[in-house]
Amino acid sequence: MKNLRLLIVDDVEDNRLVLHAICRKMQGFEIKEAVDGIDAIAVCEEWHPHIILMDVMMPNLDGFEASKVIKSRFPETVIIILTAVIDPKMEANMSSIGVAAYLHKPIDKELVRFKIQNFGSVLRLKEGDHAKLSTKETLNPFCSDLRHYKTIFDINDAEGMMDFGVWILSRCTEQMPLAYSKVDPMIELFYELMRQRIRDKEVVSIICEESFEEIFVTMKFDKPIVLKPKTEELVNDLQSHCIIRDNIACVRLNISGESIPGQSSFVTTIKKIPVEEKVQSEGVTQKEVEREEIQSNKEVRTIDAKEQGFLRQSFVHKTTAIDYVTEIGGGIIDEIHELESLDEEWRERLHVLERDPSIENIRQFVDGVLGIYVRTINNLFEFTALAYALSSLGIFMKEHADTIIADSSKLKMLVMLTEYLGSDLTSWREHIFSLQDAGDIHYLDSSFFSSCMQIEGIIGNKQLDVDDDNDMEFF
Amino acid sequence: MAKRVIIVDDSRAVIATAELALDGLISSGVIEFKSYLNPEELLGALQSGAENFDLLISDVNMPQMNGLDLARAIKMDDRYKTKPIIVLTTESSEQMKMAGKEIGVTGWMVKPFSDEKLVKSLKMVLGV
Repeated sequence: MKNLRLLIVDDVEDNRLVLHAICRKMQGFEIKEAVDGIDAIAVCEEWHPHIILMDVMMPNLDGFEASKVIKSRFPETVIIILTAVIDPKMEANMSSIGVAAYLHKPIDKELVRFKIQNFGSVLRLKEGDHAKLSTKETLNPFCSDLRHYKTIFDINDAEGMMDFGVWILSRCTEQMPLAYSKVDPMIELFYELMRQRIRDKEVVSIICEESFEEIFVTMKFDKPIVLKPKTEELVNDLQSHCIIRDNIACVRLNISGESIPGQSSFVTTIKKIPVEEKVQSEGVTQKEVEREEIQSNKEVRTIDAKEQGFLRQSFVHKTTAIDYVTEIGGGIIDEIHELESLDEEWRERLHVLERDPSIENIRQFVDGVLGIYVRTINNLFEFTALAYALSSLGIFMKEHADTIIADSSKLKMLVMLTEYLGSDLTSWREHIFSLQDAGDIHYLDSSFFSSCMQIEGIIGNKQLDVDDDNDMEFF
Repeated sequence: MAKRVIIVDDSRAVIATAELALDGLISSGVIEFKSYLNPEELLGALQSGAENFDLLISDVNMPQMNGLDLARAIKMDDRYKTKPIIVLTTESSEQMKMAGKEIGVTGWMVKPFSDEKLVKSLKMVLGV
């Protein structure tokens, strides 16, 4: 059994000693210690722990801030918080940044071991023979824009099917209602489909492709699928979440815990202030009242936890462009330099769209130029916020294509702002990869994401529902 | 007389969205709006006397010079040390805000910003 790396983070030496003694009794773990948040991040960069036991109140950098940094840089790391403070708000904040569990002090050693061993089993399953880097081609019929890794299960017996079941359940918890309600019928459907094949000694592959929001689970057979009454019923249960085509059956699961951005995450505000009352009580001008009215009628673009993370991501240790480029080197840099040839196409496609507004021209821009950028940036793995921002903007443009092409002033504004986004990307490429003069490779990420959201707000006439109180803070 | 508002941000998209938000104040002649993509260029222009401002809106994370370093350099110049500087950034950590406060910036606003709140804050700072 492969050892997993476990990091204990606590500023009090006695606490570290106690936790070390508790964890030492479990087999299959290598253990290291860190004395505060800064130290923990440094150990993560060098040693890449699988699981972290993290204290909250620590000098230099506390457990919350350290967890935020660690989850943004090493999202697969499992963080278990140990704290003496019972604070539901803090627990909610911890969950929003991806902390896996929250345990209270005084330490219950059995519970600590139980949690670590549980997460350890899931990690071993994930890290086993299943995870593979994929080709750029996606298999599922739902979506071609995915990060380039897949988890593959080659199954030839019931135990293999069980492995898959445990893995998929570990990815879709009860906190993800949209996914959770589909997991049971999906497993049942796949089980029914493969029963006969296993009896015939056929090896069946299940390929799980992941995007930021969803997992696409595809079962692939050698021969075409024939549905029987029971499997037909299960397919009907899954409705539009399932596609059966020739020899593949694919189910999409939303794992964000939210609805898919750009689809149904917009909610309408219901607050509306009576005009007369407002004028009398505050003495504002009619123009301002009208503005308030328009404002109060605006839909609200909610920002989910993942997006909030991208907006507020911060990197304690800044990486300079020179260090970064030296480190990654090779073919990926060539791919980035090839994007230079897209600058002209970016502008040209936008101008074509402005001259000849059509859904096809929006699609050409989104799937063509924007899509190439998203794939290339995704390949760098370092700039997820940039890739996510472009990807969300593309989804927004496609979904609002009708409204955009019907309103020439909106279209003009969208073209202008998107052209500016293109200049920002050109300048980003120059500062990071050509001139290599940026002191921090992440200087643009959050700001670019914020601009994409504002553009969605302007064009979609939506108010951004930012978690922070975005009133100016005066000093 | 129109108040001179300068924004410095490495992103053209941010500058454009801010300009759209302030369109009412610009077109009615309450403010005149100027933008810089490069803090070094702005600092040079201020130091040489070629540029001046009644309010500066500055980003923090830019490729080379950081917005807080720019604010610090401006505040050290007697000609500008009482002029208001607003930080407009995605950074929201208390540490960064404290650093801004120590330098003497007037206010801190996080992106993505609301047009109405940006206009309101600007009016308040400029007294217009």
